Amino acid sequence: MNSLFLSPSMRRIFLEVLILCVLSATVGLSLNFKLIFRVFSGKSVAPAVSNSAETSEGTIVAADAIDAFPIPIELVDLDELLSAGALLIDARSFHSYQQEHLAGALSLPFADFANQIEKFKQLIPVDQTLITYCSGYGCPDSFDLGVRLIQEGYLDVLVYEGGLPEWKDAGRALEGANQ
Amino acid sequence: MKLLRKTVYHISRLVLAAVFIYAGVVKANDVVDFAGQIANYQILPYAWNYLIASILPYLELLCGILLLLNMRIRPAVLVLFVLNIIFMLALSSAIIRGLDIDCGCFKPGAANPTSPLTALWRDVGLLVLLVATWVLRDLRHPMEAD
Repeated sequence: MNSLFLSPSMRRIFLEVLILCVLSATVGLSLNFKLIFRVFSGKSVAPAVSNSAETSEGTIVAADAIDAFPIPIELVDLDELLSAGALLIDARSFHSYQQEHLAGALSLPFADFANQIEKFKQLIPVDQTLITYCSGYGCPDSFDLGVRLIQEGYLDVLVYEGGLPEWKDAGRALEGANQ
Repeated sequence: MKLLRKTVYHISRLVLAAVFIYAGVVKANDVVDFAGQIANYQILPYAWNYLIASILPYLELLCGILLLLNMRIRPAVLVLFVLNIIFMLALSSAIIRGLDIDCGCFKPGAANPTSPLTALWRDVGLLVLLVATWVLRDLRHPMEAD
C-alpha cells in the first residue's frame, strides 16, 4: 500500500514526534513537579506571596512558618459557599471596586491593607469564611491578601482565582458605578 | 529557483525557531502566570491548566532549538503545526464566546496584551511558514516511495 501515513519515513517522523513529546513532558514535569503536586492535591500555588509580612500588631511573621496559604476555589464552588454565608473580599484598589465588583463583595485593597485591617477586624469576625478575589488568574493580590488575612487570625480564607473576569464572563451579577 | 527555495526554507526555519524559542523561554520562566493565561480560555479543568503550562513551553523550546539547528525538521514542524491548530481552535472558541482575554501566546502578563483575533491572524502566518518549511524540506529530502 502506497499510503503516505504508512510509509517508513512517516512512521519515523511520528516516532520522533512521540519522542519529542515524551522528552518535553519529562523535562517540564521534572522541573515543575512541586507545583503540579500542589495543584493536583488541591493546595494553592501562591505565586507572589512574600516570605514575611508585618501584622497589624507590627510583628513580622514568616509566611513559610505558618503555612499561610489560602485554598483556591473555582467558580462552580462559589454558589454553595456564598449561600452558606461566605463573604467575598475585593483585593483590588477602592477605585476599581467602586467602578464594578462582584455582587455582595466588600473592599479590602491589598495595597492599603495595613491601614484598613483594624477596621476590617472590628466588622468581620475571625471565624467568618472569606473569599478573596482580584482581576483574574494573572493577579497575585487575592493570594497575598488571603495570606495576610490568615496571618491576622482569620481561620477560613479561600481565594477565587478566576476573579472579576471569569465572574463577568459567566454573566454573574455585578455592582458598582459601571452597572 | 533552487537558490530561492533554499533561501525561503532557511528564512522560514529561522523565523519559526526565533518565535518558538522566545515563546518557550518566557512561558517556562513563569509557569504559574502562563497557567492563568490558559485558564482564562475556560476550556480545561483547573489543575490541567498547570499541567499543560508545565509541559508546553518545553515542547515549543525543543522544537525551536531543532529548527535552529536544522535537525529533525519535519518532526519539529509537525509538532508545531498540531500545536498551532490547537491554539487556533482555542482562540476561535474565545472569539466566539466573546472572551476579552490576553492570548497568552508569549510573555504572560505583558504590558500590551494581544487580543485573540490578532493572535489568530498571527497563527495563520506561522501556519504558512510551517507549511513552507515542511514542503521545502520535503523537496530537499524527498520521502522514499513504498
